[in-house]
Amino acid sequence: MQDLLDNPAVQAGGGPLLVALIVALLLARTPAAWLAIAAGYATMLALSTGLSFSPLTASRKVALLVLLAPVAGLIIDRADPRATGRAIPVALGVAGGLAALWAMASVLSQRESAEAITRGALVFVSAAGIVALVARLRSDGVASAAAGLGLGLASGVAALLSASVGYFMSGVAVAAASGAMLLVQMVLGRSLPAGSAGSLTVGLAAALFASASLMLAQLPWYALPLMAVVPAVLLLVPRGRGPVWRQALTLGVAAVAAAAIPLLAAWAATLST
Amino acid sequence: MKKQLFALAIAALPLGAIAQSESYTLDTYHTYPNFMVEHWGLSMMHGQFGKATGKFSFDKAAKSGAVEMSIETASLSTGDNDKGSRPRSRDEHLRSADFFNVAEFPRITFKSTKVSFAGDMPSGVDGNLTMLGVTKPVSLTFERFKCGSNPFNKKARCGGNAVGKFKRSDFGMKTALPAVGDEIALNIEFEGDKD
Repeated sequence: MQDLLDNPAVQAGGGPLLVALIVALLLARTPAAWLAIAAGYATMLALSTGLSFSPLTASRKVALLVLLAPVAGLIIDRADPRATGRAIPVALGVAGGLAALWAMASVLSQRESAEAITRGALVFVSAAGIVALVARLRSDGVASAAAGLGLGLASGVAALLSASVGYFMSGVAVAAASGAMLLVQMVLGRSLPAGSAGSLTVGLAAALFASASLMLAQLPWYALPLMAVVPAVLLLVPRGRGPVWRQALTLGVAAVAAAAIPLLAAWAATLST
Repeated sequence: MKKQLFALAIAALPLGAIAQSESYTLDTYHTYPNFMVEHWGLSMMHGQFGKATGKFSFDKAAKSGAVEMSIETASLSTGDNDKGSRPRSRDEHLRSADFFNVAEFPRITFKSTKVSFAGDMPSGVDGNLTMLGVTKPVSLTFERFKCGSNPFNKKARCGGNAVGKFKRSDFGMKTALPAVGDEIALNIEFEGDKD
């Protein structure tokens, strides 16, 4: 049994998928169904490096923020459940950008001032953009789950190409949990709107994993903003038409195809360095 | 007159004690912290840090001493720095947040709390190792500690090898456990010129 739990494929893929499926099915009738993403991510952490927040390093801040994101999102959803305008995506985007800056502060503070400013600006703008674009999908549960699948794969595989196994496993765990959300919606035949809880978790997780791969590993700077291509493509794809299973397949394929763009950028960097 | 001489002798005593403490600055070109870790339960893999600075001092009469060392984590090398056809090399991976996290923690430090002696020479040192923002006690044993002189400038010089063990998980370095072993064997080869 221990050998099975020590297997990285179980830690990052099978475990998070199973736990997210269970959580999503149990909470499918409640606004908290999207806690499944954080549950999947927490499973990966628990099975691999363990859950620990002291000392509060950049990586531990990333973990803390991803685990707290759905709680913050649920509070926002509860405060204004019918909010549909662009105010919430913009607000979530700014919050996501600031969260990413806070997570990377200990690393940025050790860089030369000019590099710290440019890198900090890149992290803020990229994280804000990714979170805001995912938040624009929040009323569509299928598109939000597809975004999680694409962004999880993009941030995870890009991390692996940047010499970080930890963020590879993190990205894959979010992709697996998002895949579980897609499956649950296909099985139930109805969309489970992500709201701020789901969209903030998915967007912030990918933004933080990619930012950490930039600051703590070897991700090329241009691959970070390119992560935003995944939700941007999903916004362009016609949504809400036909049965849920067909929407899930279409949007899932579109998200994975879009993930190839930041991945190509990360891969290209490995050829030149 | 006798009283004055006695008072002078008493006043000079601490100076005499200080004078017996010899202080040395580590020669960065002959000081290399090495480590060894089990890989996949098979071999023991070696790595070393190319840049380390610090000081040590000891007082043979008082049987006391002190050691301070700072290691630049980015100077890590395990002999695999050329990625070849792979996306990244092992050294790049070891520098990432998965292991030594050099961008966030550019230094590993060791500060002694107690130096023990065997006869006239130091035989071991207890101290605090700070790595990845975590400080834990670590004990080192001097497998070798010898003093002589630098053949070129004739300055007094001491050097040796200090060995010790610790668990990397105690410092929060948990990636790839247990495939990459938890126990780290340290071997610090050092030399220093007398200040």
